[in-house]
Amino acid sequence: MDTLFSGRSIWTMVHGVVLGGGALMALAAALFCLWVMRTADGVTVGAEVASRRLAWLTVFAAVALWLTVILGTYIIFGPYRATPPEGATDLTQYPRALLRSTPDTAWLHSIAMEMKEHIPWVTAMLTTAVAFVAMRSRSKLVSDASLNRMAMTLLGISFMLASVAALLGVFINKVAPLE
Amino acid sequence: MSTSQRVGDEVTNGAALAAFLAGGIGAFALALIVILNEVGIFSAPTLYGPAGGVTGRTAFGTVAWLVAWVVLHRRWKDRQVDPGRVFTVTVILIALAVVLLFPPVWQLL
Repeated sequence: MDTLFSGRSIWTMVHGVVLGGGALMALAAALFCLWVMRTADGVTVGAEVASRRLAWLTVFAAVALWLTVILGTYIIFGPYRATPPEGATDLTQYPRALLRSTPDTAWLHSIAMEMKEHIPWVTAMLTTAVAFVAMRSRSKLVSDASLNRMAMTLLGISFMLASVAALLGVFINKVAPLE
Repeated sequence: MSTSQRVGDEVTNGAALAAFLAGGIGAFALALIVILNEVGIFSAPTLYGPAGGVTGRTAFGTVAWLVAWVVLHRRWKDRQVDPGRVFTVTVILIALAVVLLFPPVWQLL
């Protein structure tokens, strides 16, 4: 009996949906927390508890992003860029070759995948920086306006870049899924 | 980057700003490595054959980020640093990185 999903397909879902999707949700939640807590004094009991949860939220986002990029680069990208045998006409097992085979889809490799190869690593670095600050200076992150603004900016950039990478991943997977 | 007086760990912002600026430096370093690869000046060694050169480029970028972070952290951890200038430099580095990591830009080089 055929299995519903191949191993490669499951890895792709773990990469894009579980880890990438989880990171996006955590980034959005952390951004919201930073925004609503930005006027807190950071020393009251409520703010202390909330800032601790915010810190763990950013750590979760950073870990999820690192796992996403490492899995994407070292597990998924290899099969994606595999070279088809000479004269092969069925390219469904070779996503990069399939995308490059027609002008209409070539951009999904030359622009979309090329962006996905590098941009998500930037989001992992920026989110890790915010997670470090959130863990080390929990109360200061919500009470210091300049730190709060910088953290929101970096998380906002991370969220936007990760969203673009995720959207491009959806496009690629719709046209040339790794099966 | 200018720094002012040393004060206690409890009130300084140096470690936090070092982490933020290092993020910007890491992003720019990765973009620079990618651009140097695209123009054929420097090609990072491949760490994992099936995945190709991206493994080396991202590893080098990550190492550059960590080195920048360690250096900045050691210099700033006990200092109060001007947040405005660090913020500006960090955002500029990230913006440059995003532009340089946009593949159509590579065609212009």
